[in-house]
Amino acid sequence: MHTLKLLSAFFKVNVQMALAYRADTVVNILLNLMWLGWELLSLNIIFSNTTSLGGWGIGELIALLGVFRLVNTMMIALIWPNTEKFNQSIRDGSMDYTILQPANSMFLVTFSRMTIWRIWDLVLAIVLIVVGINISGDTTTSLNILTFILLTVSGAIIIYSLWIVLISLTFWFTKFDNNVTILQALLDAGRYPATVYPVWLRIIVTFVIPIAVATTVPLQALRGDLDAVRILMFIAIGIASFLVASRVWKAGLKRYSGASS
Amino acid sequence: MFLIFQRLWQVNWAEQWQYRANLIMYLLYWLVSPIIYLAVWTSIASSKGDVNGFTVNDFVTYYMVLLIADQITSNIVIFTMGYKIQDGTLSGELIRPIHPMLTNALVNNIAFKALTITGLIPVWIVLFFLFKPDFSTVTLTGILLSIPVMICAFFINYLISASITSIAFWTTRVYSINEFYWALILLFSGQFVPLSLMPKVIQEIAQYLPFQLLMYFPIQVILGNLSRPQIIQGYVMAGIWLLLALALFNWVWRNGVRRFSAVGA
Amino acid sequence: MSPITIHAENLSKTYQVPEREGGFGAAVQSFFKRKYNDVKAVQQVNFEIEQGEVVGFLGPNGAGKTTTLKMLSGLLHPTEGTANVLGFTPWELKPEYLRSMTLVMGQRNRLSWDIPAADSFLLNQAIYRLPDDEYKETYKELDELLELEPLMKKPVRNLSLGERMKCEIAAGLLHRPKVLFLDEPTIGLDITGQARIREFLREYNKRTGATILLTSHYMADVTALCERIIIIHHGQLKYDGGIADLSRKIAPFKLIGVRLAEVDSHDLTKYGTPVQNEEDWEKQYIQVKAEDVTRVTSGLLADLPIHDITITDPPIEDVIERAFNE
Repeated sequence: MHTLKLLSAFFKVNVQMALAYRADTVVNILLNLMWLGWELLSLNIIFSNTTSLGGWGIGELIALLGVFRLVNTMMIALIWPNTEKFNQSIRDGSMDYTILQPANSMFLVTFSRMTIWRIWDLVLAIVLIVVGINISGDTTTSLNILTFILLTVSGAIIIYSLWIVLISLTFWFTKFDNNVTILQALLDAGRYPATVYPVWLRIIVTFVIPIAVATTVPLQALRGDLDAVRILMFIAIGIASFLVASRVWKAGLKRYSGASS
Repeated sequence: MFLIFQRLWQVNWAEQWQYRANLIMYLLYWLVSPIIYLAVWTSIASSKGDVNGFTVNDFVTYYMVLLIADQITSNIVIFTMGYKIQDGTLSGELIRPIHPMLTNALVNNIAFKALTITGLIPVWIVLFFLFKPDFSTVTLTGILLSIPVMICAFFINYLISASITSIAFWTTRVYSINEFYWALILLFSGQFVPLSLMPKVIQEIAQYLPFQLLMYFPIQVILGNLSRPQIIQGYVMAGIWLLLALALFNWVWRNGVRRFSAVGA
Repeated sequence: MSPITIHAENLSKTYQVPEREGGFGAAVQSFFKRKYNDVKAVQQVNFEIEQGEVVGFLGPNGAGKTTTLKMLSGLLHPTEGTANVLGFTPWELKPEYLRSMTLVMGQRNRLSWDIPAADSFLLNQAIYRLPDDEYKETYKELDELLELEPLMKKPVRNLSLGERMKCEIAAGLLHRPKVLFLDEPTIGLDITGQARIREFLREYNKRTGATILLTSHYMADVTALCERIIIIHHGQLKYDGGIADLSRKIAPFKLIGVRLAEVDSHDLTKYGTPVQNEEDWEKQYIQVKAEDVTRVTSGLLADLPIHDITITDPPIEDVIERAFNE
């Protein structure tokens, strides 16, 4: 209950900020539409030369683009601005204030900045998923939809946990403000099914920087391609990675306060 | 004059060397999308045998050369100069008797390039063994012919980027404008896929634009896929666009500086 | 006697600073085997502060003031020793503790630059779980003392340094903390700005009975606000006591100022050490030991054509500087 109140307080502050930069918001929405246009055009170009990519048709790829955009929105609306704020707060010392606030510091670090207008991007992503699945003609049961949602959330949590670990490293290696670029760099690989990549790249995007777990895997679940064991495994990985990440964060804070040295 | 460039080189090389950790990240960031496109197209080509005449090897060699051409012709001037114009620190450089954009920023970009290309070499060798491309169509003449074009294309791209950067004299939203420019490059340069696989309309337009000079044209020259008249046509286009870009930059810069000094930013 | 709010016992902090020489070889070597230097930032510091006290915490740069404040507020773990603030061990960071104290650092921003302070205040209300009526009441009170209302609607980046500091302090006090740790709260402000913050802190202390521990570079802050000061130097406690006793204990000297009939300066070195006084050009000043004052004064009056003579305590700045230099 209190968490929701806090979240809405952060939300209000960020709406204020978005309003302070109205014109930029409009320009960014236009740019976002431009890139969406480009992404659809590139899919069109691919599928004017083939009927399937990694076993999937254009409908599935449009849906995959939707799932990719869900993750990408989390990156751009939440992770990037908060990384910037986090690095800034380490540099100028205002991290001290965050630690001394009577609320979960990991929560504060995650939600203090939000790029509000990106919410419409989420709507757009869901539209892409629905339209894509319709084009593909795949039949989806409500159980498939449920596992899809669960695996999308779990995939997002895995990426988020990786981010927490990456920024926590700043507590040990102060000169590490490039921490998140590596996430964003490989994120682009999520636009296409992981099955098209050469083995070494597939291993990276599945195990090292698990972009595919947050994009390809949920869509496989939506199509009913995954068995129960794997579904449970991916959900378990999601929960485990969150637990590990909060541990690392706490250890980082201890390091910051000099408790471990 | 030579001495100025030599000194600028020393300073800028040392500066870029300081940021080598950032550079590795930049390199990684920039490598990923060509490799993804490469994977996508080879996967299609291998399932069908070829895509409109492009075999798996054609795609591999195309993107392997693209990695080099893109690195040579791209620049980061907007990131090194944009904020200087916005926060007014440019004034310090304006009162020096050398052109900020055409000397210091230019050398800074070249130093940056020298480092990223050095970083690219080992990556390129690893990719070579992973994909095992067949470069038998590449000739020395092709490589030699591509060099002047790529240098020319670098300057065209640099001058246009510098012109866009100079828009910062008027507006703070210069980065958004630059994003639009990137989209044009993506669409017309052959970065996503060899231009001949793009829709006909885009191919037609791309012929007259400078963007294909950045990637598609030099790649095809190296791979020996162009006839003599096509190469001559490309060279002419490069010459014309270089002059146009120079004129554009001069005009934008002159007006921008005039505005800068009038506002007194 | 009021209850003890802050208690520090043998509080010590040692930092390990990696030692590295220049050059590539040394860099490689330090990668494998890093040498550390121990820097003793705070050593065995003991003190107690009662509820409602305003204590000035003094020392030159790098003396360990900020480290001590950070340990007391809970940001740093001490390497040795204990502290107790309001019954809590600070570095356990218990939410109840965090809700009853505040740390304000003059050089750091709590408020977001892009939005008006009012919005950041509301965010703090949520973080500290303050009920609406309580929040409004506190805000009204702070507004009365600091005249915040005209500043609330402007984005923080458009405020002057002094205005911003008022908002920063107010933001740190919205939850009515019982203990205030203030690190250089007036730094960079002009004389009037400093005076206003000082005035506010005095009034706040009087109204709420909050305990205040503050560091400042400006001696005026300390002399105006604090009856008691703690001096720390090289991480060690040098002095803890009343401000009035300080000069008697540390610098038992007096200043004798004389205005002579002739403009030509006479040689006063045989009476005491000459000192500069920039505020008073007409007089020449010498510093003499407290017990010698009577003897030197009568000597001066007998020997020289004196128009005017004054005997004063040395300025507190000089006394403290002397304490540092010992």
